[in-house]
Amino acid sequence: MLFFSFFKTLTNQTVTIELKNDIRIRGILKSVDQYLNIKLDDIEVLDLDKYPHLSSVKSMFIRGSVVRYVMLPRSEVDVGLLEDATRREAANQVGKTR
Amino acid sequence: MSFFGFDTTLPRDRQQGGPARGFFENPDPFAEVARAQAVEDDDGIDFEDTYDGLGDQLDDDQDAFNDDTFGGGDTGAAATGAVGRDFDFFGTTAKVADVIGEEQVRYALQNPSAAPLAAQQHAAAPAPTTTATTATTTAKRTGYEKYSDPGYIPDLQAKSSVWGISQKKQEPIPAASRRPMMSLEEVEAQLRHRSQPAPTMPPQSIPQHMAEQAYLPHPQYPQGVPEGFPAIPPEYLRAALEKGVLPPGMPGLPPGIPELHGGPVMSGPPPMHIQQNQLPPQNLRPQGPRHAGPPPGQRQQQQMPPPPSTRGPNGGLPVITNPQQLMHLTEEQRNAYLVEDAKRAKRNHKIFLLSRGNGLMTPQDKNFITRIQLQQLVAAAGNVADADPEAVLSEDFYYQVYSQIRGAPRQHPHQPLGHFAQTYLLQTGNRLGGHGNRRAFQSADNHMQRMQQQVQRAVEAAKAKPKNKQLIIEGSLGKISFSNAKAPKHMLNIKRPDSSEGPRPKKVQSDLSLSDRKSILTNIESVYSALMAMEDMERTMPPPPEEGDSEAIQEHMEWRQKVHSLNQKLWRALKVMEPIVPNSTTPHPFIAFLSYPKGKKAIPRIFRHIDQEQRVTILTMIVVHLDSLDVVRLAQPGPGEAQPSLAVRESIDLFSLAVMPSLLGYVNEAPFNIIIGLLGLVIAQTHVQSVARTKVGLGILTMLLSRAEIVKEAGQAAERDWQQWVEKFNVLFDTLEPSLADIFPGAINTGDDMYVWQFLAAVGIGASPEQQQRLVIAVKDRVMETVGYSKTLPADMASLRLGNVNLFMRAIGLDVELLG
Repeated sequence: MLFFSFFKTLTNQTVTIELKNDIRIRGILKSVDQYLNIKLDDIEVLDLDKYPHLSSVKSMFIRGSVVRYVMLPRSEVDVGLLEDATRREAANQVGKTR
Repeated sequence: MSFFGFDTTLPRDRQQGGPARGFFENPDPFAEVARAQAVEDDDGIDFEDTYDGLGDQLDDDQDAFNDDTFGGGDTGAAATGAVGRDFDFFGTTAKVADVIGEEQVRYALQNPSAAPLAAQQHAAAPAPTTTATTATTTAKRTGYEKYSDPGYIPDLQAKSSVWGISQKKQEPIPAASRRPMMSLEEVEAQLRHRSQPAPTMPPQSIPQHMAEQAYLPHPQYPQGVPEGFPAIPPEYLRAALEKGVLPPGMPGLPPGIPELHGGPVMSGPPPMHIQQNQLPPQNLRPQGPRHAGPPPGQRQQQQMPPPPSTRGPNGGLPVITNPQQLMHLTEEQRNAYLVEDAKRAKRNHKIFLLSRGNGLMTPQDKNFITRIQLQQLVAAAGNVADADPEAVLSEDFYYQVYSQIRGAPRQHPHQPLGHFAQTYLLQTGNRLGGHGNRRAFQSADNHMQRMQQQVQRAVEAAKAKPKNKQLIIEGSLGKISFSNAKAPKHMLNIKRPDSSEGPRPKKVQSDLSLSDRKSILTNIESVYSALMAMEDMERTMPPPPEEGDSEAIQEHMEWRQKVHSLNQKLWRALKVMEPIVPNSTTPHPFIAFLSYPKGKKAIPRIFRHIDQEQRVTILTMIVVHLDSLDVVRLAQPGPGEAQPSLAVRESIDLFSLAVMPSLLGYVNEAPFNIIIGLLGLVIAQTHVQSVARTKVGLGILTMLLSRAEIVKEAGQAAERDWQQWVEKFNVLFDTLEPSLADIFPGAINTGDDMYVWQFLAAVGIGASPEQQQRLVIAVKDRVMETVGYSKTLPADMASLRLGNVNLFMRAIGLDVELLG
């Protein structure tokens, strides 16, 4: 649940999402669920020339499995906390597999 | 399908249907009417059509039966106007139950014709006037028969139909089960035959409006499955009679009675009957007023030409069970009747349409499906029951803490998904409750409760279920893996090596070299896990125990014990106490720990959880190894370089930000002798001149010097201690003096040199006048350079640089202003 927990803190931030088909979309992250499906608002497609069919899309729901990268605003990430959260997650996982 | 197994279709319906119908191909008794209404029947099913309107017909003004219910009148309480506080309405009613029962029997004996009439009312055209009189005299008692038996306990069953859980189906009535199918006529004939000689049950045993609706062909929806079907009073009576137990109120019932009690009910319209019985018994009571429907006048005209009141059991339209009856009515009446009829038919048709799928799934089926859905919900969203903060924190740590730190940015900061199921339930409840209708509200309430119970049971079941991760069905080739969001399906199924085999050899290796990169990183991680455990402990600290509360004291002691053991664990993980090996090529484990950024970052957190002694140990350790610290060792710029590499500068900054404040915090409280000792260590153990060329080294020296000065100012320094300090200081000064010009970082125009001026100021304050002289000479060039350089700078930067210099100048009693 670490990634879900993490992305939840990024709601209402502007993120850029690169899909596995190379489309890059910048928009405001409205919500995310445990499958890391993503809802974006006020979107803007980078390289719009290549994907004219997206020119009128204002918001979208992206299935989590098609996301390649999510580019985040660095200032919104608490690295120390994230490290600790990762440690906890790792400890949880170890606990679970045993 | 009638509940009792009678064929309730009227002759005309029967012709078209034929006996060969399949089980689910129920004839639609309203098809005809619906077809007739097809033009106006274009709208959907709306509430008005399906709501029977009984509530609207309640006449709140009429208090005719209040005396019966509340025990006024006869008992005289109402006469005096005293209301009293005895609201035991049921008890009051029960007091007169015997009387009611007696009245019934007495009436039955007096009017032997009443029962046949009642039967007639169902079967054939009633004689209107007679029915009217009999009904009027007995209406008061209607619905209370069941209370006549003192041993009677009303069948208290929740309205389970909304949830679809059926109670045990009632035993079918023996008579009905014996004779599987009988036509309505046959039953009637039998009834009449049987009832010929006998005095009868008063007609009130048949709820009036039930009889009234008998003219309708009865919809045969599968709804007829009797869910929550309460005991039928007459049956009960009959059973009691058969057993020979006569209710006290009925001493001398003629032998024909038992059958007759059952008779009308059985011949009555079963579906209606069921609907009736689903209502609580008291709902049946005020039948008269209730059935004075909106168009009462027209109805009454038949029996009592002027409509005197809307009350009376015959308030409705005449009961028409035979088409010929219509012929005797006036045109107006007939129209009104037809309109009424059409309305009712339309409503029933819609109910029929709605109920087409009824009974396709048994309640068990529905339960099963609901359970599956809920289990999915629970599995996906986490256990509803697990909503305690600990579980949330472990699952959702980053989000929870982040929103605490940065202020919750979201609408529902503390609504993790575990509450999803509950939210869903609440929404459902609201929607159902929104009807504004008493019954709907009640059922919604009930529905919600049941849903919640269902969720709880589902959660229990999910918990109890063994956590099988996959299922291999015998004979199949594959396996079915279960997955949910928390535990996704494994793409690879790798068997872990037993812990006894795998990591062993590595461990031996790591024991050999304490300082290779991997073991250092492992150490750091173990420090962090100890830290996190301690921070968790801090959160769960019990409140400070009060005097005498031994339990709380005990709890507190245990907590302290745990904290202490964690502290020991942390301390061991830090490896501060590892023996110092002089001239070793590998750095001390703690120094190695500090050479990693996350090691440095851990220091402030560590300092919060250790005591003073441990802090001074750490400080001592750092001071002793000052020149092997990476931030000191690597901080000397290489030959020909103005400043150290970027990575080193970053780590120096990190050290200054993370470690130095912690150290400074301790030094500012440290006793003087420790400061003296530390300075002695710097001089004895390290290469002071190279240490002084680094920011960190200078910082530590500044720290010690300024603390000593503060102690002296405060007059806390004992004379002997101070002598010791001055000795050490002199040694330091003499060592540093030759290289004072070199401690500045690079040329005048590179970077920040404030820390150097701070150091010089700290030295200057503690120095003797003679030493101050030497100090000024040593750094005079740099001072002049800076002053000159600052003239070429913008005003704010210039004042900054001059301010730095002034730190030092003021310390030795001078000012840059003097330099002009």
